[in-house]
Amino acid sequence: MSTPRDPCRRIAVVGGGAVGLLAATALRQAMPVTQIMLVGQQPSPASFSDFAPTSLSHARALHALIGMDESELLLKAGGSHRLVTRYRGWSASDAEGTMAYGERETGRMPASLAQILAEAGRFAPPTPGRDTPLAGVDYALRWNPAAYAERLVARAQAAGVQYLPGAVEAVEHGEGGLTTAVAVAGQGRVEADLFVDCSGPGATVSAAHPAFAMVDWSPTLPTRMVYIGQPTRPVIALEDRITLLGSGWQSQVAGRDGLYSMLGTGEGVDRETALAALGAPAMAAVRLAQGRMVEPWLGNVVAIGDASARFEPLGPYHFDLAQRQIEMLLELLPGRTVEPSERREYNRRSIMMMEAVHETLALHFACKRAQKVFGERPLPVGAAVELDQFTRRGRIPLREEDPLLPQERRALLRALGVKPGIAPTAQRPDPQVEKDAHRRFAARAQTALEFAPPYVQWLGSLNLSDPAPPE
Amino acid sequence: MAEPRSKLRVVVLGGGTAGWMSAAGIAKLLPDLADVQLVESEDIGIVGVGEATLPHIRGFVERLGIDEAAFIKATHATFKLGIDFRDFGRIGDSYIHPFGAFGEALNGVGFHHYWLELQRQGRARELGEYSLAVMAARANRFRPPAQDDSLASTYGYAYQFDATLFGPFMRDFGVSIGVRRHEGRVVEVERAGATGDVTALLLDDGRRIEGDLFIDCSGFRSLLLGEELGEPWEDWSHWLPCDRAAAMPCAHASTQIRPYTTATAMPAGWRWQIPLQHRMGNGYVFSSAHLAEEDACRAIAAAAEGEPLAEPRILRFRPGRRRHSWSHNVIGVGLASGFLEPLESTSIHLAQMAITYLIELFPTDGRIDPRDREEFNRLIDMEYDRVRDFLILHYHATSRDDSEFWNHVRTMTVPDSLAAKLELWRQAGRVEKYTAGLFYEPSWIAVYIGQGLMPERHDPRPSLGNPERLYRATEHLRDAIAGEVAAMPGHRAYLRGETARLASSP
Repeated sequence: MSTPRDPCRRIAVVGGGAVGLLAATALRQAMPVTQIMLVGQQPSPASFSDFAPTSLSHARALHALIGMDESELLLKAGGSHRLVTRYRGWSASDAEGTMAYGERETGRMPASLAQILAEAGRFAPPTPGRDTPLAGVDYALRWNPAAYAERLVARAQAAGVQYLPGAVEAVEHGEGGLTTAVAVAGQGRVEADLFVDCSGPGATVSAAHPAFAMVDWSPTLPTRMVYIGQPTRPVIALEDRITLLGSGWQSQVAGRDGLYSMLGTGEGVDRETALAALGAPAMAAVRLAQGRMVEPWLGNVVAIGDASARFEPLGPYHFDLAQRQIEMLLELLPGRTVEPSERREYNRRSIMMMEAVHETLALHFACKRAQKVFGERPLPVGAAVELDQFTRRGRIPLREEDPLLPQERRALLRALGVKPGIAPTAQRPDPQVEKDAHRRFAARAQTALEFAPPYVQWLGSLNLSDPAPPE
Repeated sequence: MAEPRSKLRVVVLGGGTAGWMSAAGIAKLLPDLADVQLVESEDIGIVGVGEATLPHIRGFVERLGIDEAAFIKATHATFKLGIDFRDFGRIGDSYIHPFGAFGEALNGVGFHHYWLELQRQGRARELGEYSLAVMAARANRFRPPAQDDSLASTYGYAYQFDATLFGPFMRDFGVSIGVRRHEGRVVEVERAGATGDVTALLLDDGRRIEGDLFIDCSGFRSLLLGEELGEPWEDWSHWLPCDRAAAMPCAHASTQIRPYTTATAMPAGWRWQIPLQHRMGNGYVFSSAHLAEEDACRAIAAAAEGEPLAEPRILRFRPGRRRHSWSHNVIGVGLASGFLEPLESTSIHLAQMAITYLIELFPTDGRIDPRDREEFNRLIDMEYDRVRDFLILHYHATSRDDSEFWNHVRTMTVPDSLAAKLELWRQAGRVEKYTAGLFYEPSWIAVYIGQGLMPERHDPRPSLGNPERLYRATEHLRDAIAGEVAAMPGHRAYLRGETARLASSP
C-alpha cells in the first residue's frame, strides 16, 4: 500500500527577488508543515526574471495561486494591460507587425481584435464569465517591479515564509551529490532537505554543485551585451515594442511609472553607439553568456529562472519561464528524499521549457534584416523545422512545454515579417466564405470598439495610486 | 478527360478500412491538390481490424462532413465509454479504462493521490466509483456528454461498429466524392530507375495505374512499402507476443447492450467482446508460441456467451512496424505500416492519425519535399512508441503466474521509455506528462491502479488536510455521479430512440 511521502522539514529558497518570493510563497502555501526559509540574497540587475516589468498572459495563473488578483496589481503595483507587442524592422527596415495573445482568427484577418483595440487605445479587461464583445480578448499585465516585489514580500510574510537577509558565502555538500547547507553571511548555516536556487544568473547554489554544467547557446543567439535604461516618462499604451535598429534590438515596455527600455547588441558594437540607441539614460549594462544548465535539478537543488537559463530579454519570456518552472515544482513536489525518477522527469520537462524559449529567440535572428545586423547564425533544429514548415506550409509543429500557443507562434512569426505558406487544406479558399468571415470579424471588431472605453479613461476610473518611478 | 496535371495523382492500394479512410479523407479535404484512385480486389479479403474505436474517430467522421446518425445506422454502431479489463492484474480483477477522468484535481494535486491516501486510511472505494464514465458503463447507461463544465461533461465516447460495414460505408462516401475505383490485382510495380520512386501499378488485366504518390493500404503484405521498397521491419513481438486472433461473432446473450468493450485475459493472451447493435464481436488474441490455433478456436467457442453466428476464423499478424512509414513516394497506412494489437482499440486510430498527418504534410507544389517526409516519420514514430509502451504495460503490470505466457510478459525486459515511466510511478505516484500522443494521465492511472500496480509513495499533500473532510468530499462526488447515472437512459433505449429519430427524419 502506498504511503504519503515524508514532507521536507525545511526548504531553503535562495534569492530575495521576485522569483524567490514567488517560489517561497507558493511552496509555503502548498506545504504548510514545511518550513520555508527564504535567503534574501539580492539578485543582480542581470537577473531579468526578478526585475521583469511584465510577463505573458499566463502569469495570472500563478498570481491566482498565491491569491494575488489583478486589481491588486493595478491598484498597488502600477499595473497596466498589454494587448499586443509590435515588432518593427525585423525583416526589412520598414516592416512591422503585431503579436496578440490567444486569438485564433488573427492569421486570416488583416489585424487581430487586440491590435484594433490597441491602435484605438480602447480597452477594459473583460469580466470573467461574462459574455461581452471583449470576452475573447486576451492580454498580459505589466507592473512596477519594485512595487510588485513589495506586494510579494507582504504575501510571503502573510504566508509564514521565514526570511533571512544576507548572501550565501559557502555551500556544503554531503554524500551522494546532496547539498546539506548554505552559509549565509552574518547569519550562520542554513540546513535544508531541498534547495530552490532563485539567485539569478550567478546560480549561487547550483553552480557550487560538483555536477554543474552549462549548455552554450552563443552559437545560435548572437546578443552579447544588454543595456538597461532608466525608466523614463510614464506611457499609457496597450502595446509594447520590439524594434530592430542598426546597432541591435531595442525593447520598450510601457508603464504607468515609466517606459522601460533595453537594448541588445552583438559583437563589436561600441558602448557609445549602444547608449545612443538605447533611447534612455543607462542604468546598467550586462555582458551575456547565454545558455542553460545541462540539468537544472542537481541532487536536491532545483534551479529556477535565470539560475537555470540565461538569455537575452527579447520579449517577456524570463518571468514566464520562472513561473512555469515553479508551477512544475509544485506539481512534482518532492518529499524529504528526492527520488531519481522525479528529478529526471522535472529535468526532462524543464529542459523542454528552456529549449522552447531558446528556439523562440533564435527565430528572431533568422529574419533577413536581423541577419544583416547580427550576422548569420545556425538555427536550433526545432526552430529550423518550424521556420521551414511555416514558410512552406503555414504549419506550426506542436512543441511540448512551449511558452506560446500555436496561434501565438503564428502571430509572432508574422509580426517578425515571416510570410506563411498556405496549408494543403486551404489552397483555394472559397471567396464567399472568406468574405463572410471578414465581414463577421469586422462587425465584431466594430462592436468591440464601441463597447470598450478609452483605456486611459478606464484606468482613470480606478482609484489608482501611482508608484513613484524607482530611482 | 484527364485531370489537369497540377493535381497530384494519388493511388491508394487496398480497399479495406485504411484504404477507404485514406482515399475518402484525401479526396474530401484536398480536392484541389489530389486526384484519388483506389485499387482493390474482391479476391483479397479484408482483415477488418478494429470493431471498437477511440473518441478521435468522431472528429474524423465530422471533418469529412459525414452525419453521425447516418454513420451509426450504416455501421450498426453502438456507443462506447471505455474498456472493461478483466483478469489482467490478477484473476478475478476487473476495472474499466474509461474515456474520462477520475475525480478532480484539488489544489494542484491529482485526484489519484487523494485516492491513494483514502486507501491508506481504509476508506477508499474502487477507483472507478469516482468516474462518471465508469459508473455509467457499469450501469449499461449512455447519453452524450454535456457541453459545459459540469460533471456531466467529464467523459467522452467512441463507437463500436461492424468493421466489415465501415469499409463499404467509407467506399460509398469516397466514390460519391470522386474517388475512382479500380477492381484488380497488382501483378507488377513499376519504378523510376533514377529515384527508385514507384511510378505505376500493373494490374492482372493489363491496366496500368500511374501515380505520383502511392498509399500502401495492402494490409500485412505491405506490397509497396515492405515488399517493393524493402522498408525494414522493426519487430516488437518480444514485448507484445500475441500474433494470432481467433474471431467468432455471436448473438447477444442478454437484452442489455454494453456501452463498453470487454477484454478478458486468457492463459495465452486475451479475448474481446464488442457489442454491436445486432451481434457481439468475439475473439481470442493469443501468442502462437504458447497456444495452438485449434486450441484457441476451441477456447473462444467455449468462452463465448451467445449463440455462435459463424465458425472461429484465424487471423495472423505480427506486432511491430516498418522503420519508416513514408519512404520515397510511398506512404504506408494501417497494417501495411505496422500493427499493434487491438487491446486498446488503436488500429483504426493509428490509420486515422497517419492520414491526418499526411493531409497536413501533403505536397502543395506537386512534388514531395524530403523535409515533409522526415516530419511525417518523426510524428508517426512518436505516436507508435507511446501507444506501444501503453500496451506493454497491460501485460507487464500483473501478478499472474498461472501460465507460461503470463510468466513471460510479467518478467520480460520492457523498453527503456516504459521502464522510466514505471519507475516514476513506483517512486512518486506520478505519470510522465506529454501533450502529443494518445493516452494521457487518466489512462495510465486507470491501468496502473486497475492492475494493482500501486506506487510505494504518494504526494504528501493529501495527508495534511482533514481526513474527515476529504472523505466527505469524495462521498459527495460519488453521490453526484450516482445521480447523473440514474438520470441517463439505458444504452439500448438510447440507441432505439436514436434509430426512431433517424427513421422519422427526412
